[in-house]
Amino acid sequence: MNARDAILAAVGSGSRPAAEIAREAAALIERVPGLRPDRVNGDPAEAFLARVTGPAIGATATRVAALADVPGAVRAYLDAHDLPAGVALQPHPKLGELDWSGVETHRAIAVDEAAAVLFAPYAVAETGSLVFRSGPNMPVLFAFLPLHCLVVVESASVVPWLEDCAAIEAKRPAPRNLNLITGASGTTDIEGALVRGAHGPANLHVIFVEPSNPKP
Amino acid sequence: MTAAFSARVDKALADPTLKLAIDRTTGTARAKRAAAVAAWPQFDAARDLGRDIKDHVIANLGFYLAEFERNAIASGAKVHWARTAEEACAIVVGICRDAGAKSVTRAKSMLGEEIGLPHALDEEGIERVETDLAEHIVQLAGDRPSHIVWPALHKTREQVGELFRRLHADPGALDSVEAMVGSARRQLRQKFMRADVGISGANFLIADTGAVCTVTNEGNAELTTTPPRVHIVTAGIEKLVPSLAHAMSLLRLLVRSATGAELTQYTTFHCSPRRPGDADGPEAFHIVLVDNGRTRMLAEGLSDMLRCLRCGACLNHCVVYRQIGGHAYGGVYPGPMGSVLTPVLEGLAQSQDLPRACTLNGQCQEVCPVKIPLPTLLRGWRDRAWREGLEPTVSRAGIGVWRIFVLRPRLYRLTTRLALPTMRLFARRGWITSMPLAGGWTRHRDFPAPARRSFMDQIERTRR
Repeated sequence: MNARDAILAAVGSGSRPAAEIAREAAALIERVPGLRPDRVNGDPAEAFLARVTGPAIGATATRVAALADVPGAVRAYLDAHDLPAGVALQPHPKLGELDWSGVETHRAIAVDEAAAVLFAPYAVAETGSLVFRSGPNMPVLFAFLPLHCLVVVESASVVPWLEDCAAIEAKRPAPRNLNLITGASGTTDIEGALVRGAHGPANLHVIFVEPSNPKP
Repeated sequence: MTAAFSARVDKALADPTLKLAIDRTTGTARAKRAAAVAAWPQFDAARDLGRDIKDHVIANLGFYLAEFERNAIASGAKVHWARTAEEACAIVVGICRDAGAKSVTRAKSMLGEEIGLPHALDEEGIERVETDLAEHIVQLAGDRPSHIVWPALHKTREQVGELFRRLHADPGALDSVEAMVGSARRQLRQKFMRADVGISGANFLIADTGAVCTVTNEGNAELTTTPPRVHIVTAGIEKLVPSLAHAMSLLRLLVRSATGAELTQYTTFHCSPRRPGDADGPEAFHIVLVDNGRTRMLAEGLSDMLRCLRCGACLNHCVVYRQIGGHAYGGVYPGPMGSVLTPVLEGLAQSQDLPRACTLNGQCQEVCPVKIPLPTLLRGWRDRAWREGLEPTVSRAGIGVWRIFVLRPRLYRLTTRLALPTMRLFARRGWITSMPLAGGWTRHRDFPAPARRSFMDQIERTRR
């Protein structure tokens, strides 16, 4: 008997109908809403911003009114941090179509890239997570190699809960990498002391696009 | 207690810095976990749900393994099966050899440690680069991990600084923890990009997509699994969950229990090799599903332990772990969960000391995010050691003598009545610092002087 057959025989491949197992699995998920920690009160977009800039995650954020304002926000960030005026630009059409005059942009990301600008298709309010789906528009390493990671996300794309992320992903084919990014890289491996920038970015900056924000 | 275990415990207790190092990290972990739990009133009911999700998977493991395999293969992954640690290592080393790999990066995986993968890669002459900062420290020191979440928890910052000064190419000043982390970043940067193969573990295997979940705070997993030509996952067969939604419920429990955060900085679901048009990602994706004793646990009444998420909370809260640290346990998994698992992996005869190195205070079960009855499982190993005649002669005889007394209450009371004043003769200011037959205790700490009268005597006096 090969290893596969031996293991499956040992766990008992089972004769229960698949539909019955699926019903049980679905019933487990139905219990979730009453058991979640109460982390999303009111507007998910505001909850996301509060969480991502709160002490636990410690990212910074700027609000802009339109995607067209993103290059200006990037320039302001680079100036404020004394960074060279060049960024690796994730090859996403929403970023590519903007007017980047005044910021040098390049498509390839270097191993020691100072700053990169990324577009996140959506975000999760509960945990303050930015979601990336790898693909031709979204190379994985853009979120891991730069020292400063600048992420553009639209307020309308914020979903309240992790289960909403699961529901969105259940409707489409899984990408090579689904990355939930919740803050800059950090480590507590030496005496439990938190240090940012272990291998990935040391700084996470969110550029939050809120078109014609009606809220006070 | 066997001489080997006793010697390891003595060494740990005599270490002047170990206790301090353990207290620093586990103290922070306990405080942060407590704050996270306090902010979640439904935590206890959520633990029930976590338990039920894992139990559901374990009860239908054959179904979910087959579903995961089918979906992983359909996505383009290659799925391998290994009954034993040896089979698993042979598969991984074989893939590395076929890929002509000279250098391999590894993201921390407890299963990798369990099957002895670091050793197998070293034997094969493949350069092995541990990328988790703590594993990097442990590798440089030629040491072993001492905690499942913080493998280098036994090292002080001074010791880490000394190690990096000696072995890093560009250590810089190393005058702070920040500077040490910076030095490791520079040291590992190019190695990430030059590796031929990246190896990770899996926190969850998602049955309905064939995806594999990794969680890290450093981002080293994605830097390990993206640049190389080949990504290999080694995962225990118990890591399955039905879907992404089920994984989310378990992530809430896992991360809070491990570090007190709401979610790890980098939570990634890996599915298939690089797609057409992708700018990065491996050309080949292999998943090795490992049994290594898990089906035996299922058959021998240890299926509760297959729920374990490897969060480390039971270690951080264990009064024994916090005194002796991870190395004294001798196995890959220390603390309460390790004392249940090591007898499965190494045999009870070799590890029967571990289930006894426990006060049964129940703290581990209280904090377990999937409610594993660890004290019950530990008692189960003690029972079995007794039944199989593994109990050392001295303690077996000791228990025999004790049995004579407990079955005869009058004799028992008479003896304690005589023992109390005798013990008090050795007490100074309320503490006994040394006493015949008590050296095993008093060598490392004082013993409190007993009350003047026994509990039973005091009760009787109040009744009168």
